[in-house]
Amino acid sequence: MPTMTFIEPGGRRREVDAPQGVSVLEIAHSNAIDLEGACEGCMACSTCHVIVDPAWFVRLPESSEEEDDMLDLALGLTRTSRLGCQITITKELDGLVVTLPAATRDVR
Amino acid sequence: MGNSGATDGAGPGLRKRDVPVYLDYQATTPTDPRVVQAMLPYFSEKFGNPHSREHFFGWEAEDAVEKARGEIASLIGATAREVIFTSGATESNNVALKGVARFYKDRKDHIVTCVTEHKCVLETARHLEHEGFRVTCLPVEATGLIDLDTLRDAITENTVMVSVMAVNNEIGVIQPIGEIGAMCRERGAFFHTDAAQAVGKIPLDVDAMHIDLMSISGHKIYGPMGIGALYVRRRPRVRLVALMDGGGQERGLRSGTLPTPLCVGLGEACAIAGREMGDEAERLAALRDRFYKGITGRLPRVHLNGDAERRIPGNLNLSFADVDSEGLMAGIKDLAVSSGSACTSASVEPSYVLRAIGLDDGLARGAIRVGFGRFTTEDDVDFAVDRIAGEVERLRRTGPLRETA
Repeated sequence: MPTMTFIEPGGRRREVDAPQGVSVLEIAHSNAIDLEGACEGCMACSTCHVIVDPAWFVRLPESSEEEDDMLDLALGLTRTSRLGCQITITKELDGLVVTLPAATRDVR
Repeated sequence: MGNSGATDGAGPGLRKRDVPVYLDYQATTPTDPRVVQAMLPYFSEKFGNPHSREHFFGWEAEDAVEKARGEIASLIGATAREVIFTSGATESNNVALKGVARFYKDRKDHIVTCVTEHKCVLETARHLEHEGFRVTCLPVEATGLIDLDTLRDAITENTVMVSVMAVNNEIGVIQPIGEIGAMCRERGAFFHTDAAQAVGKIPLDVDAMHIDLMSISGHKIYGPMGIGALYVRRRPRVRLVALMDGGGQERGLRSGTLPTPLCVGLGEACAIAGREMGDEAERLAALRDRFYKGITGRLPRVHLNGDAERRIPGNLNLSFADVDSEGLMAGIKDLAVSSGSACTSASVEPSYVLRAIGLDDGLARGAIRVGFGRFTTEDDVDFAVDRIAGEVERLRRTGPLRETA
């Protein structure tokens, strides 16, 4: 089974199982990692904002216009920001590393 | 549409006063009476906050703002969602340069601009230099245009953005925007253009010209003062760090309640420009040529500053040998023209734009900017030719430069 790593705002690294076909948001939730996901993955908020490690960022499929729109509203947006709900694990993403931002903005 | 005589230059629909003939359309333009009419209801009965989501007044204002956004977008070939409202081109230029530079600073730290840019671009670039960015300021040719090979050499893989104005505010020359855009796209740098003097005057298309960000001003295109816009490309997305924190209006890029009447005015001004630009350009070119022929027919040693062909029709920047523009302007108080860009006209330094195109001090000090616009008439032009030519002749006979030389 692929794995992935969440780096929490304090710097703690959490390596967890990352089943293929499951989103980063769902993986966070099933491992009690504090990634909010207020709209539960329907792209109506930016609270599952994650900062993808630059080495991994370039390997992700390009973001959609809708995802970019939501990211516009994310706090602390960076060049490698994505929504956790829009990253689906494939075997190519085995080892993925993302950082949780220090704050999110719930725009519902 | 006619307005006759010398004391009537303000235009139809505006109260006639005993004022000079207005020939300074690059400084500002009168708000078109049709624009004023479109704005008026939004000061009074349709006063709602366009961000109020819960009631009719908010929806009514929001509809008006969104219609205006669409009108701005369609004038430049953009989609409405790519246009954000600002207080004017100065703010748009600040947001564009600082916003993009700061967002991408972990990867790129170099900005390319040009010596003849408006002060608000040059000062912003200087500010970014203090923040640690490197800035390359391109020179211009004697025509006022940048050299594309020089630009190509200036862009490196660390260049985050190239900012070159579409039309110069002092000498009216049109930079090769499409070619610059194509070069930036190819080299992976964002392309910003300050189009305050170009929008509504020349055709612009953000896709065809590969423009990623564009600054727009309301009061240069017969809209109200205090409103402008910034075009920000969505695909591929250009990201910015906002300058102001607040309610997250305008896609989070520019917080603050939108001024509905001003937004409506800018939209209406763009709609009118879109319909009338072609005819207006023809009419202004005829007036401009009439003026230039009139002046050069009466006066020797007149120098046209900036490229003779690649320029907007509503501008002439002329130097008169052996004449100081301060002296000239003192003698033609019944004409409203400018001796440099109004933003720096408080200083007695010769214009940095005229210096950049290689004018010596004497010619730079003898330069005046004459701007023709929507409400300029043939009578205005003939009157101006007569006054300017007469005064230049008089100064050349008796002027202070002669006496002290």
